[in-house]
Amino acid sequence: MKKKVISLLLASAMVLSMAACGDNNDNGESSGSNSDSSQSSESSASSETQATPAPDVNANWDGAYIDAEDYKAYISHDLELLVSDIQDQLTADQKTKVEEAEAAGLAAIANAGTVADVRKAYSDAYDAILACVPVAEGLFSFVGESNDEKTNMLGILESYAVRNGITGMSLFEDGDYRMYNPRVTLGTENYIVGYGFGIMEEGAITADLDYESNADWKRYYHALSASDPGTLNVINDKGSETSDFYTYIRSNFYTTFMNDTKDGYDWVPELAMEKPVAVNDDDGDGACTKWRFQVRTGAEGLKYSTGSKIASRAAFNNRDVALEDYETGFKLLLTQSNQMFRGAENANNTSGGGIVGLKAYYDGTANGFNQALWDQTGIKTYVEDGKSYFEVEFLQEYTQFYAMYYINLIGESAIVVPQEFLDLVTVQNFLGFNIDATETPVDNSLPLGPYYVEAYNQDQEVVYKKNPNYVYADTKYNIEGVHMKIFPSASEDPTASINEFLAGHTDAAVIPQTMLDEYRNDPRTRTTTGVSVFKLNMNALNAEDWEYMFGENGVVTQTAKADYWEVEPALGNSHFRQAMQYSIDRLTFANARGSIPSVDFLSSNYMSDPENGVSYATTDAHKKAVAPLVEETDGYGYSLELAREYFRVALTELESEGIYKPGTAEAPTVIQLEVAWQRPTNEEQYHNEIKTFLEAAFNDPSVSEGKYKLSVDFWVGNEWSDVYYNKMMVGQYDMGFGSVSGGTLTPLKHMNILSSDQVISGSFTLNWGTDTNNPDAYPIVYRGERYSYDAFYNAANSQAIVSAGKNEAVVTCKYEPMVKNEDGSYAGALEITAALPASTTVTPVSVVCCNYERYRNGDGEYVESEVVFETEDKGNGVTRITFTVPAELAADYATGSGTSADPKGVTGFDFYYDYVLDGTESTGNYYSAEDAFVVE
Amino acid sequence: MADLSAALPFKYTGMQEEDRTMAKYVAKRIGLAFMTAFIILSLTFILVKLLPFERPIGGDAQQIAYFDKQYNLGYVYRFEFERPEYGGYLYKTPTDHGRANYYYQVPVMTQYVNWLKNIVTKWDWGYSKTFQPNVAASVIIGSRIGYSIRLNILSVIFSVPIGILLGIWAALKKNTMTDHTISTMVMIFISIPSFVLISFVLRIFCYNLGWLPSSWPTDSAATAVKIQGYIIPVFCLSFSSICGYCRFTRAELCEVMESDYLLLARTKGLTRSQAIVRHAMKNAMVPIFPSILAEFIGILGGSMILEQLYGIPGIGKLFVLSLNYKDYDILFVDMAIFTTLGLLAGILLDLSYGFIDPRIRMGAKK
Repeated sequence: MKKKVISLLLASAMVLSMAACGDNNDNGESSGSNSDSSQSSESSASSETQATPAPDVNANWDGAYIDAEDYKAYISHDLELLVSDIQDQLTADQKTKVEEAEAAGLAAIANAGTVADVRKAYSDAYDAILACVPVAEGLFSFVGESNDEKTNMLGILESYAVRNGITGMSLFEDGDYRMYNPRVTLGTENYIVGYGFGIMEEGAITADLDYESNADWKRYYHALSASDPGTLNVINDKGSETSDFYTYIRSNFYTTFMNDTKDGYDWVPELAMEKPVAVNDDDGDGACTKWRFQVRTGAEGLKYSTGSKIASRAAFNNRDVALEDYETGFKLLLTQSNQMFRGAENANNTSGGGIVGLKAYYDGTANGFNQALWDQTGIKTYVEDGKSYFEVEFLQEYTQFYAMYYINLIGESAIVVPQEFLDLVTVQNFLGFNIDATETPVDNSLPLGPYYVEAYNQDQEVVYKKNPNYVYADTKYNIEGVHMKIFPSASEDPTASINEFLAGHTDAAVIPQTMLDEYRNDPRTRTTTGVSVFKLNMNALNAEDWEYMFGENGVVTQTAKADYWEVEPALGNSHFRQAMQYSIDRLTFANARGSIPSVDFLSSNYMSDPENGVSYATTDAHKKAVAPLVEETDGYGYSLELAREYFRVALTELESEGIYKPGTAEAPTVIQLEVAWQRPTNEEQYHNEIKTFLEAAFNDPSVSEGKYKLSVDFWVGNEWSDVYYNKMMVGQYDMGFGSVSGGTLTPLKHMNILSSDQVISGSFTLNWGTDTNNPDAYPIVYRGERYSYDAFYNAANSQAIVSAGKNEAVVTCKYEPMVKNEDGSYAGALEITAALPASTTVTPVSVVCCNYERYRNGDGEYVESEVVFETEDKGNGVTRITFTVPAELAADYATGSGTSADPKGVTGFDFYYDYVLDGTESTGNYYSAEDAFVVE
Repeated sequence: MADLSAALPFKYTGMQEEDRTMAKYVAKRIGLAFMTAFIILSLTFILVKLLPFERPIGGDAQQIAYFDKQYNLGYVYRFEFERPEYGGYLYKTPTDHGRANYYYQVPVMTQYVNWLKNIVTKWDWGYSKTFQPNVAASVIIGSRIGYSIRLNILSVIFSVPIGILLGIWAALKKNTMTDHTISTMVMIFISIPSFVLISFVLRIFCYNLGWLPSSWPTDSAATAVKIQGYIIPVFCLSFSSICGYCRFTRAELCEVMESDYLLLARTKGLTRSQAIVRHAMKNAMVPIFPSILAEFIGILGGSMILEQLYGIPGIGKLFVLSLNYKDYDILFVDMAIFTTLGLLAGILLDLSYGFIDPRIRMGAKK
């Protein structure tokens, strides 16, 4: 069907082509209304026979596996898709030019006689279309745009990623079918994306659980956990397990409750009293860096609770919350000597929500709290007119909603607690056990959340009791308590949890794959959406690009020659990747596993409108981005017919380029792909089916008549994370199974991991093949200008200096060779260039020299010496810095290191500078020239 | 008093020399046991420490947080410069000062020496890092060993008499339908691993009939429920032991009953029962009692799989969990206990022969 529609367009293009080429055939019947390509061709041929005989452009067609008309139809479709992707962002003038270029391109494709000609025609048309849209130049920031516009931007980035195949091949979303005990009244019968069923918040329990032998706990919500985190210290744990247990006692600045119509949720203040108020919104655009939050304290009735029987702990029960307790939580988190995992993570956070001065504070507190550094952070508390305020200065401007969102993000780990309590239980034991386990989390926690810890029997059970002091204790969290039983069998036996549920021992369970058919339609069963989309990430690099990225001198990682990955060239062909996408019967695959079939990069939990809970998956922007993956398929990207057709297209191209040579039916050319799985269970549960899907589609005789064979193997690492660190992140794979989730309320930021730029992706790129800073790779057009993916990503999320469509550094530095003066001193110079001189002010701060040889040898004697420098404005954003390393200092460097084999002093310098870009200040920047000179 | 030994036709060295020989033998066995335990624990430590790091998935912020934690735990070094002498760095992260932090794994042998030093000088076996953070490993073991011991004592109490009685019954009914039935059942049930058995038992008695708890009752459960909680694990633990004792007893008793002295006893006028109780049983028990003793010690180590499957918070399950959590200090204490118990069981087994049957002397020279 898809081919027929495309063929109709192609037939129209041929007519246009004939007209454009000056063919006098004016027999309009040739275009006709035929919807079948063969009929159309016959009609054209017929009319040509009747009029001037035209040469058959396809007479010398060299495509091995697909006939000319079909191939041209697919290539034309690619061109039309390109135009479709950008046309909404074109100016009227650009639109006209693009349409002309598109028409000319379609005509050229129609008139091409060989595969190479068709591809050249496409390439020429592609270039012509790109030429219609100027590349962006200058400073761009779209960070203040509305949610709707951000959704559009996200759609543009996603379209780019899908077209370039850098989203990988999505398989399923980790939603599930689960059953609930009829005694539990859910908050809503319909699962709310990003919220759930509201069981604890709005739900209720209407009958006793007979199985529970403790009379006090019969009305508690009963759940299972396969293991015990051993602590509730969510600040010092890298996994999600502790967080799952901590969630019942959690409190934060804001929380969410179901809306009145029970189809979404609202953000409401929890420890805060109201929504944040902007402090420095000077331009009145609603976005700023400083926000203040009026917070609850004892004056507003906020009190701590504990279930501890130890007198010293019990003394804190019903104690008023003080304003300084808020700061104590942040200090606990961020003081490095406390060794809190989340402290390091938050201090080093560059992905959004960073707070002024936190990194400097963290780095400077290896030996304990530092008041001077704390005073320089962007965190302040004060009382004004009898109200308590907590004020935060972010590194970036945020709107009110994102101020709430980001304070909650860090507030998750910055637990409000009195210093006296910390002193009593010690930082080390806070929320956990003491060394002889005589104190448990019951004694060492002091919650403000909906529940407090009632019992903690290690490796047996954790029990929570409703907190009467909770802010919304009267209206929400009506269930009396929660009983979490540790049930190791749940991790050994997939049916263990459901058996417990069916026996009436618990209130909920996920239905395992083997029991889906039996319980899918049970009245107790509900469905949920997932947090992550699991996918096969792809390595589409060719050998040359692979070496550039990962070779001996790779820019991403360095690999010894013997360990070079042998890339499979077929994956570099976009049509081959497209065919693979169509080969997977996701519906069958996911249904059999109780999950949700998906072709999407982002799961349903990613929000287009996070404040109102609108999923990005429901937006037009997303639907347009993934349209090519689902059109003419079963709705989930599966079409065996299309898969085989696109494999034929791909093989035709790969052979035409000389990349592959056909084998024979007896000795076919083998295309070997390896799927790297995370765990052996992945291989057991998924591999054979995926292998069958791909091989069945490709190895069908209709594709290559047996001249090629696709063979799919697997790899499994020792550790589940090996697939990331030993395979995908270092280019040692063809396809790698994985999923990355996080930041569901900031999906635009989450697109960073698709960048090939390691700074943008945080060294977490999993799909390779496209230089995302090349604006010509596939056009990203926004408001009539063309960007690279990286440039547009940065502009959408913060600000970007864009040059020729590419993302550029704000300041670049280049040093000149050091010159030895007659007096033994050394003269140095460097040139700093602002990419955008008109909007940038660079302020040199210092030049610091150091003997790097000593530094590297770690002999502890290296000394950083600040030297005098001079600046010279060279105009056009260029500043020349000159400095002198005094003879005395140079002489000291000359002695090198006592432990060094080479006594000469390898010396370098750091140049520190600040800059202001379009009113936004950035401090603490540096340029390091470690081996600038050798002192002789 | 005259020295009578001179009048004897052979040189009588007396009990003292025999005791000395025995003591030397025991000391030698204990010394060897310590050596074996040392080798096992050393190898365990080194091999376990060679396992790769399990890094979190995420960008630089997560990596820095993770490696800083490893640094704080003493598993990695952190330098502001490259130190090739420690091999390849595990991770490199830029710092604010334009340089980088390099993380290197602390050499395994360095960790090993530190670990040994703490045990020898301070009897400090370390503390939990991930399973129950900050709690001393020995405390964790101590809090769990009771569950394993209680369970296994019950299992021995349950399995020994039943197993021996069944064995006696089969021996007395040798080559009858009773014997065949018992022997066949024993062969079948001894082949079923306890984790398979518990799955069936759980299905039938917990999920289908609802008579028994489907997992180990928590400390807060009602006493009746706690008592019920013993039934399934004791039964499953005892099952193979019962079969083992039954088979062993039957074989020994059958052999003894065919011996000449038993025939002599019968010809002297003893009834069959008298001959069996007074003579056959005594001799048949010589190899059986040491095995009971060895099992009694061995079972203190618990059953890793059974404890894991039934959620029993014993040291068998702890061993599995500490491996999963990579909580090495707990693992090593647990391993030390298992090793020591195993070796002690071996020594006691050997020595017990001598106590039960005075004809057997260990370490005696020919």
